[in-house]
Amino acid sequence: METILIPVLAAFAACAGFAVIYNIHGPGILICALGGSLGWLAYLLAGALWEDIMQTLCASIVIAAYSEIMARVRRCPVTGYLLVAIFPLVPGSGVYHTMEHAVNGDNEAFLDTFLHTLGLAGAIAVGVLLVSSLVRMWGIFRHHTTPKEGRT
Amino acid sequence: MDYDALMSLAADLGYGLLASGAEIYRVEESIQRLLHAYGVAEADPFVIPNCIIVSFTTPEGQAMTQVRRMPSHGTDVDLLERYNDLCRHLCAEQPPLPVARERLDRIAATPRTYSLPVLLGAYVVGTAAFAFFFGGTLRDALCAGVCGLAIGLSLTAMTWLHTNLFFKSMLGAALSAFMALCFVHTGLGDHSELIIIAAFMALVPGIIFTNAIRDVMAGDMVAGITKIADALLTGLAIALGTAFSIGLTRLMWGV
Repeated sequence: METILIPVLAAFAACAGFAVIYNIHGPGILICALGGSLGWLAYLLAGALWEDIMQTLCASIVIAAYSEIMARVRRCPVTGYLLVAIFPLVPGSGVYHTMEHAVNGDNEAFLDTFLHTLGLAGAIAVGVLLVSSLVRMWGIFRHHTTPKEGRT
Repeated sequence: MDYDALMSLAADLGYGLLASGAEIYRVEESIQRLLHAYGVAEADPFVIPNCIIVSFTTPEGQAMTQVRRMPSHGTDVDLLERYNDLCRHLCAEQPPLPVARERLDRIAATPRTYSLPVLLGAYVVGTAAFAFFFGGTLRDALCAGVCGLAIGLSLTAMTWLHTNLFFKSMLGAALSAFMALCFVHTGLGDHSELIIIAAFMALVPGIIFTNAIRDVMAGDMVAGITKIADALLTGLAIALGTAFSIGLTRLMWGV
């Protein structure tokens, strides 16, 4: 239980801090922080099935879907929520270890961690991309099927 | 209809959106919708990360164009939300142009920003929480908080001095890594690696990268590739800054 609770709470606090740095006010801070901890919960739960790249993919899909829903509810651009909530997934440790191996001159480990970091970043990107594309397609589908006078 | 006023309204709204960190497609769509709402049938906004071109033909057949150069900018979600909100209202209600102009100017004139102490506090909370997040101890979290404070201060100072993003990231990373290594050397922190990575989170270009992917997805390749290059350069700058500090401490203490 503790192995889940502490990281999730830490992700909450961290996202709240970064929400303030990106000048988010009021309930937006709470939404970002919840998104961050929700994403990390998804990451940890997916750990029962897959390795970290797939975990990151799952978490980024959850965060993107959550942000899209919140953006619709609050009628705000999705960017703000998405950018901050995705923070815990950003492979900061990957960047660090890549650099560390490069400094030590360990080329094999350097290339290995570098490619792995790129994979993690790619997983975030694919997750976000997948949800955004589906939401866009759904919006256009609704646009085509709604009668003209009913549109807002 | 005063098309000059409409042109400057649309260009200024687009400028405000882009400057507060909106995606390219959002800026283009907002300008287009605004012009459509005010009765311009043919409008072609073209936006890349550092330039906005708005061009339309008035119903009388006169072509008009305006170009705006965008300096480098950060992300301000609150401003973005307010501009986006204004755009939706203008499209729905179409108030007279002077009224719309006044509402646009009011947003620019009344920025809602946090004071510096609150902002620095947020840096401390964010980085300290990330130290816990990566499995650090309480002492690691405190050290990471101090490093985060240093990053916040150096970023603010260098933004004030109009330093470029590459140098900003490099100096911030070098400073925080050096402090983290000093803390661990003097026994204040437990894991230098964790502290450095936690403080990193205030610098890593995660936001630029996510934004870049959203631009690529929307079909704005020029914007997307520019931003990915930006993110890679920032990542390189962070790595260089940290490498510098690690090398320096190895020389100092011979670890």
